[in-house]
Amino acid sequence: MNDYRLVLRNLFGSRSRFALTLTGITVGITALVVMMSLGGGLRAQIERQATDLGANLIVTPKGWCAYEQVKVLSGNQLPDAIPPDEVAAIEAIDGVTVLPYLTVGSAIDNEPVPVTGVRVAETVAAKRWSVAEGEIPAAGEHGVLAGAAIAESFALAPGDSLTLRGTPFTVRGVMASTGTGDDGVLFIPLDVAQEVYETSGRVSFLAVSVADLSAVDLYAQRITDAANVAVISDRQLLASVLSVVDSVGTTLTVIAAVAVLTAAFGIINTMLMATLERRREIGILKSLGSTNARVFRVFMLEAAAYGVIGGVVGLVVGTAASHIITPLIAANEFTAFVGGARVSALPPLSDMLAILIGAVAVSTASGLYPAWRAARLAPVEAISYE
Amino acid sequence: MSDALIVRGVHKTYNGRSVPTPALRGVDLEIEAGTFTCIVGPSGHGKSTLLHLLGGLDRPSAGAVHAFGEDLSKMSDARLARFRAERVGFVFQFFNLLKGLDVTENVSMPMMLAGRSPREQRDRAADLLASVGLSEKAHARPSELSGGQMQRVAIARALANDPEALMLDEPTGNLDSVSEAEVLAILDELHSAGRTIVMVTHSPEIAARAERVVEVRDGLIA
Ligand SMILES: Nc1ncnc2c1ncn2[C@@H]1O[C@H](COP(=O)(O)OP(=O)(O)OP(=O)(O)O)[C@@H](O)[C@H]1O
Ligand SMILES: [Mg+2]
Repeated sequence: MNDYRLVLRNLFGSRSRFALTLTGITVGITALVVMMSLGGGLRAQIERQATDLGANLIVTPKGWCAYEQVKVLSGNQLPDAIPPDEVAAIEAIDGVTVLPYLTVGSAIDNEPVPVTGVRVAETVAAKRWSVAEGEIPAAGEHGVLAGAAIAESFALAPGDSLTLRGTPFTVRGVMASTGTGDDGVLFIPLDVAQEVYETSGRVSFLAVSVADLSAVDLYAQRITDAANVAVISDRQLLASVLSVVDSVGTTLTVIAAVAVLTAAFGIINTMLMATLERRREIGILKSLGSTNARVFRVFMLEAAAYGVIGGVVGLVVGTAASHIITPLIAANEFTAFVGGARVSALPPLSDMLAILIGAVAVSTASGLYPAWRAARLAPVEAISYE
Repeated sequence: MSDALIVRGVHKTYNGRSVPTPALRGVDLEIEAGTFTCIVGPSGHGKSTLLHLLGGLDRPSAGAVHAFGEDLSKMSDARLARFRAERVGFVFQFFNLLKGLDVTENVSMPMMLAGRSPREQRDRAADLLASVGLSEKAHARPSELSGGQMQRVAIARALANDPEALMLDEPTGNLDSVSEAEVLAILDELHSAGRTIVMVTHSPEIAARAERVVEVRDGLIA
C-alpha cells in the first residue's frame, strides 16, 4: 500500500461520484478550449482577410458601424448605398484605383450563399487570385467565378448552371483557395449584379488603392471632399473589427470562466460529500496512526487527480468539440468567414499547457477546504458507532 | 513488573452540541506491562472513553496519561499519531475495516502509515493472516467475510507494527459464540507471548479470564 493507491481507490471507489465530478471539470475545460479556439479562429481569419483586401482605404456610406465593417471582411450582404455618380467622382481623383463591391445574397438549394458583384478581371488582378479551373467571366456576362470553398460545398464546376435571384447563371471559373472569406463567395460581374439585383448602379462599398502610400490621408481627404461618404483605412478597419471580435472573445472567456468556476464548486461539493461519506474511513485511518497531514495530503492528491484527469479529458473533448462547433458557429452571418473559418484555430500548445495547469490549480484549490475539514476530523467520533 | 500505562487524575468532558457531558471524572489507574486487563461497567459510564485515552486516540480534558514512559498529553498531534501507529493496536466492536481495501491491504495499512516498504508490508501481512488462520482470505474484501473473520483481520491489523499493547473495545460484542471463542483464543496466545492487553467487555465470563478486572462506573474507577 501507498498513498497513491489509496487515492486511486478513493477516486474509483464511488464510480458515479467520480463520473459526475469529472463531467463537471470536463465540461468546464471543454468550454474553455472551444471558446479559446473560436476566438482565436475569428481573429486569425479577420487578420488574413484584412491584409488580403488589396486596398489602402475603404470607402463606405456614412454612419457605418463596426458590425457593418465586419461584413466588408466577411463578404456578407450589405445595403447598396453608394450611388454611381459618387463612385464616378471618386474614380476621377488622380492616383486612386477603385474596386467597387456590391455584396448581395442568394440561395442554392435553400442554403443562403453570399454573392458579390465586382469588376471581375480587375479584382482578380488586384487581389492576386488564381483561377484553378475555367476562366474569368467577362463583364456583362451571366457568369460566376466561385470561391474554392463554396465550389466544393455545392460541387460547382465550370459549365454548371445555377440560378441567382431567379436569373440563370453559368459557372465560368473556380478559384484556387485563398484561405480567406473570399473562398465562400460567388463573384459575378458588377454590371450584371446591379441589373439582376436592381440597385440602379449603386454599390455597397469601394476598396481603394492609392498611388502614393505616404499620402494616404490626403487621398482620404480628397475622397470625402468629392463624395458624401466615409473613408476608413485598412488598419482602422482591422482595428475596429478586431475590437468587436475581442469583445465577443471576452464574452466567450467569461462564459468559459463561469463554466470552470462551476466545475470548481463541483469539486468542492464532491470532496465535502466525500469527507462526510468517509468520516468513518478517516477516523479508522487516524486510529491506525495516520497523521492529520497525511489525511490532508491524500485528499489533496485526490483533488489534483480530478484536475489532471478532467484537464486532459477536457482538452481532448474540447479540441474535438471545437472542430465540430466552430464551423456551425462560423455559419451564422456575423462569423460567416466561411471559407477559412471552417478550420478553427486550436489554442497553441502553450495555451493547452496553461489550461492543464489551470485545471490542476483550480481543482487543488477546490480541494483545500474539504481536505482541511477531513484532516481536522476527530477520530473517536467517527469510529465508535456503526 | 513495570507499569506500561499510567493514568493520573484524568477527566474527560465531551463538548457535545447541547450540554457538555462529563465521561470521566478523575480516574487513576496503573496497568502493568504484559498483563491482560478487562474494563467492565454499565453502558455509557466511560469504558470506551478510558480505552481511547489509554491508546492516545483522544486527549484528556485534565490529568495525564503516560504510556511506555511517554506523556501522551504532552505530545503533538503528529507524534500522537505516530504513537498510535507503532505502540498500540486498536480493535473495535464494529471491526472498522476499510471497505474499499482487501484483507491484505487492510492489514498493511498501519505498516504503510509507519513508513514500511511495500515488500515488508506484504510479507508481514501474510504472516499475520496466517497466524489468525485467514491466509486463504488474503485478497477478499471485508464484505465477503463473516463477523468473526473480520474481527480476526482487525486483530491482525492491530498487530501489524508489533505494538506493545492491544486495546480492544468489546471485540466479541457482535460475534457468535464460536467466533468469540476463536478471538479469545488468539488473545490468550498473544497474552502468553507477553503482549499487554486491555479489553472492554460486557461479558462476565470473558472478564473472568482476565488477570485483572477494572470497573468503570459513573466516570470513576469503582
Ligand atoms: N464523541 C462523543 N461526544 C459526546 N459525548 C460522548 C462521546 N463519546 C461518548 N460520549 C458520552 O460519554 C459518556 C461515556 O461514553 P463511553 O462511550 O465511554 O461509554 P461506554 O462505557 O463505553 O458505554 P458502552 O458500554 O455503551 O459502550 C456517555 O454518556 C456518552 O454519551
Ligand atoms: Mg463503549
